[in-house]
Amino acid sequence: MKLDAKIPEGDLEQKWSKYQDKCKLVNTANKKKFEIIVVGSGLSGAGAAATLAELGYKVNCFCYQDTPRRAHSVAAQGGVNAAKNYQHDGDSVWRMFYDTLKGGDFRSREANVYRLAQLSAPLIDHFSQQGVPFAREYGGVLTNRSFGGVQVQRTFYARGQTGQQLLVAAYSQLSKMVASGGVTMNTREEMLDLVIVDGKARGIVTRDLVTGKIKKHSAHAVVLATGGYSRVFRLSTLAIGCNGSAIWAAHKKGAFFAGPSFTQIHPTALPQSSDTQSKLTLMSESLRNDGRIWVPLKKGDSRNPEEIPEEERDYYLERKYPSFGNLSPRDIASRAAKERIDEGHGVGPLKNAVYLDFKHAIAKQGKEKITDKYGNLFEMYLKITGIDAYKQPMKISPAAHFSMGGLWVDYELMTTVNGLYAVGEANYSDHGANRLGANSLLQASIDGYFILPNTINNYLAGELNQSIPNVDHDEFSKAEESVKNKIEKLMNINGSKTVDHFHRKLGNIMWQECAMSRSKSGLEKAIKEIRDIKKSFWEEVSVTGSDKELNPELEKGLRLADFIELAELMCVDALQREESCGAHFREEFQSSEGEAVRNDDEFSYVSAWEYNEGDFKLHKEELKFEYVKPTVRSYK
Amino acid sequence: MRVTFKIWRQESNSDDGRFVEYEVDNISEEMSFLEALDSLNESLVQQGKGVIAFDHDCREGICGQCGVFINGRANGPHSNTTTCQLHMRSFKEGEVIVVEPWRAKAFPVIKDLVVDRSSFDRIIQSGGFITAKTGTAPEANSILVGKDIADSAMDMAACIGCGACVATCKNSSAALFTSAKINHLNILPQGKTESSKRVLEMTERMELEDFGHCSFTGACEIECPENISISNIAKMNFDLLKAKLFKG
Amino acid sequence: MLFVRKNIMAFTGLFLCIFLVVHLGGNLILLLPSETAHGLYNSYSAKLGGNIFIRVVSIFLYLSILLHTVYAALITSKNNKSKGKKYLVNHTIESSSWTSQNMGLLGFSILIFILIHLSNFWWRVKLGYGEIVPLDSNGLKDVYLITTELFKNPYYVFIYVIFIIPLSMHIKHGFSSAFKTLGLYNLNYIRKVSIIGNMFSIIILIGFSVIPVAVYLRGL
Repeated sequence: MKLDAKIPEGDLEQKWSKYQDKCKLVNTANKKKFEIIVVGSGLSGAGAAATLAELGYKVNCFCYQDTPRRAHSVAAQGGVNAAKNYQHDGDSVWRMFYDTLKGGDFRSREANVYRLAQLSAPLIDHFSQQGVPFAREYGGVLTNRSFGGVQVQRTFYARGQTGQQLLVAAYSQLSKMVASGGVTMNTREEMLDLVIVDGKARGIVTRDLVTGKIKKHSAHAVVLATGGYSRVFRLSTLAIGCNGSAIWAAHKKGAFFAGPSFTQIHPTALPQSSDTQSKLTLMSESLRNDGRIWVPLKKGDSRNPEEIPEEERDYYLERKYPSFGNLSPRDIASRAAKERIDEGHGVGPLKNAVYLDFKHAIAKQGKEKITDKYGNLFEMYLKITGIDAYKQPMKISPAAHFSMGGLWVDYELMTTVNGLYAVGEANYSDHGANRLGANSLLQASIDGYFILPNTINNYLAGELNQSIPNVDHDEFSKAEESVKNKIEKLMNINGSKTVDHFHRKLGNIMWQECAMSRSKSGLEKAIKEIRDIKKSFWEEVSVTGSDKELNPELEKGLRLADFIELAELMCVDALQREESCGAHFREEFQSSEGEAVRNDDEFSYVSAWEYNEGDFKLHKEELKFEYVKPTVRSYK
Repeated sequence: MRVTFKIWRQESNSDDGRFVEYEVDNISEEMSFLEALDSLNESLVQQGKGVIAFDHDCREGICGQCGVFINGRANGPHSNTTTCQLHMRSFKEGEVIVVEPWRAKAFPVIKDLVVDRSSFDRIIQSGGFITAKTGTAPEANSILVGKDIADSAMDMAACIGCGACVATCKNSSAALFTSAKINHLNILPQGKTESSKRVLEMTERMELEDFGHCSFTGACEIECPENISISNIAKMNFDLLKAKLFKG
Repeated sequence: MLFVRKNIMAFTGLFLCIFLVVHLGGNLILLLPSETAHGLYNSYSAKLGGNIFIRVVSIFLYLSILLHTVYAALITSKNNKSKGKKYLVNHTIESSSWTSQNMGLLGFSILIFILIHLSNFWWRVKLGYGEIVPLDSNGLKDVYLITTELFKNPYYVFIYVIFIIPLSMHIKHGFSSAFKTLGLYNLNYIRKVSIIGNMFSIIILIGFSVIPVAVYLRGL
């Protein structure tokens, strides 16, 4: 199968408008004849569901939480980028496009990334209109801050709760459409399988998490907006419920999975303090605007931070990357932290952290200014650690964060399955091998609000005379049966080990071998171990309670079963890509100074994996750079 | 450390429910309260028993999904925090920790500590939005919003919809939740145009959902994880009075 | 309905506060030397009964007490219906004052006190039940005499002093809450109104409890 990204002809600047000029439309009266399923209700899901319903489509939206407002977009702190050039500092669509492409280490499509930058400005207009209380100047205009990997100020923010504010706006808009009858919202309902009829996505099978009932839903098209899968590492910055099951089900039914191993390790999370920990809390990257990162020069220095004089501190990011310093991109900052920690300069009880120090910023700008910018983050830090960061530097550490990888989609955000779309973090589109800070809210929103509601018409226009299959159709029954069998099998193992036991094991392997630094031998070992975990999971796991009730243990078990399979694909992908690019750092491919060495001659493509009954098969989408020349990504 | 959890167990909404005591001794002070429940659940699985259901998701105090009544207070002994941000260092060795679900008629128990807060969703659906479609937005800087207005709107918009305000209120009133949303939108120029309609419809929905009256005990603002001020309720009353008097 | 009910509570509550000021002001006459107080108090009482304006206001007063009570009952019943199961352990007292949690109970004790108070005076003076009220040298009903007679009884002094406490507490929470119910939302003003409410509740407490004690002591 040849992958066709369907990139429109014409100049880069014109591609999106040319596409809109030419794509097929569905007339208003006909829109109400179409039903669309949207799985997930975060920024991309709620944005898509609300906008599609505004257009007149009948939307059926699903989320596993008790209300759409919980979706994990809520936790993004720092902000959302847009090429508004309000700061008059030389920003432009082109510059934002270039920064994003370069930030992703030239492993994404020019056309997609350019569209992302183009649509960023109208997105700020949209959210401002929806009542997002973005930070303002006294004169009433919007203000900005800077973010990692960029030399201009283009990040719009609402204190340290930007994700929450954008999500609340999306949730409000979704609520409006629920009230008007355009959207049917199904909460506490999780997608477990995709149904394909005659080569087209026609519905999903779900489990009602309260009653345990297996339900079938049909539609003309299915949109997956299910977010990232970094919970594969168990300890991550993600919500406990975040999972990869929906996209994995789609993958098994034919949707290709692109760049699965591209996982962003965020440099500024709180360090792990024990084995029982369930989550690594993120501290916004925006803190790096004013905080300075350092470790003691002396190895194993156990003095209190304030006792270590300036000359005995190593501000390693400022030293190694003078032009970007503390604002180096995330992959670079994480790797540099790992390098220092591995060298024995780590701080904290487990020596697994580095300092993020606000002493200088407070002295220069005053405590009040710092409180205004980061007050809630300092409060959060105090609540979790019991330490006052106004007085002592924060201790931070890298943590698994964002999945650049996801279902392969074309320019229209359609996967390799007809009528199946993936939006937001669930797809592989704009970020390449590494995502820039404050680009994730952007991509999720733009996919959901602006792109999908345009491109889906192009597909649906051809479906006008097709009635959707009844949920009693054979394919639905088959999918339902397989879901029921899987649940029954899981419930009846009655082994001696808990789901968490296996998840901890899987997480350890993935964190060791498939996170910040990867190697051939390590990955090969990991693949073997993951297969062992899979085997013992299906023999020894214990899931108690009943499947006919609210059963958190069963939910976890089903999600982990998929994570185990996905983990294998991640390692397979990391093993196959014999170069270092973005977040993917292969130890064999580094310069003498320890910097990543990319191999454009052999690996300038997107790896799209076909499930192929577990014997993953690689398809390559060659990346053509017509407008920029991939350069060595240097932040020195 | 060793503690005893006395936890409300209830099979389903139609079940009566009762307290069950669990002694646990493998708790460390660094653990979050929810991690202690995780660990208790893991031991229940090992004993072949069904786990205690409790709501949680982000575990960093922003999604609003967690929330239980701990030792007589919403989200435990500290003020202005979520359950996920509570750590075991806040409890004493050997302490009996009583854990109950949010209690309010509008929040029926689904199972154990999990309650149904969809009444909050219905309040938002009745008017907690700005009626504007995607694609209709003017240039963002064409609407000026003073910093003080934007900051207060942010204070109110910070609500995470957790329900601690209702849980702690002796009248099970949703006034703090509802007023935070109304004011967030009503004070912004973008939301002003439909402010009367909003306040009328949202307060009406609030009553229909079986929430009680506000009597300004102030408990809600003490327990609110986002420090939302009770003055919001007064502002809602003001808007409501204005709307009733002038918009009928 | 939430709106109407709470606003009626606030309006009537504040109106009753104004009444208390007038009532306290009049009763302070009782603290004057008895020669002066006797005549003055009786003519004050007579004027209250004779003035058409005062009569109209007093209708509002009775109506306010009635509405305040009826709506308190309606609100409490709605609140009780909104409650879920009771918490096994409830320490919400740590997050709010006992007074604010028990306005209904306080209100109920005030109602009992009002009934006692009315049966002591209004019942006899206005409605003419019970013992006939004697006339003073000016031919006016000698309310002063029955007041001082009443407070010769230490039990009544005790009852009057004790029952002022719930009234004072009720005002302490109710005064500022009424303003908030009516829409006063500026934090600065809310703070000021709370201070005024607190001072008012203390004045009521001291003023109304000093009178029976002083009258009693004087009668010894």
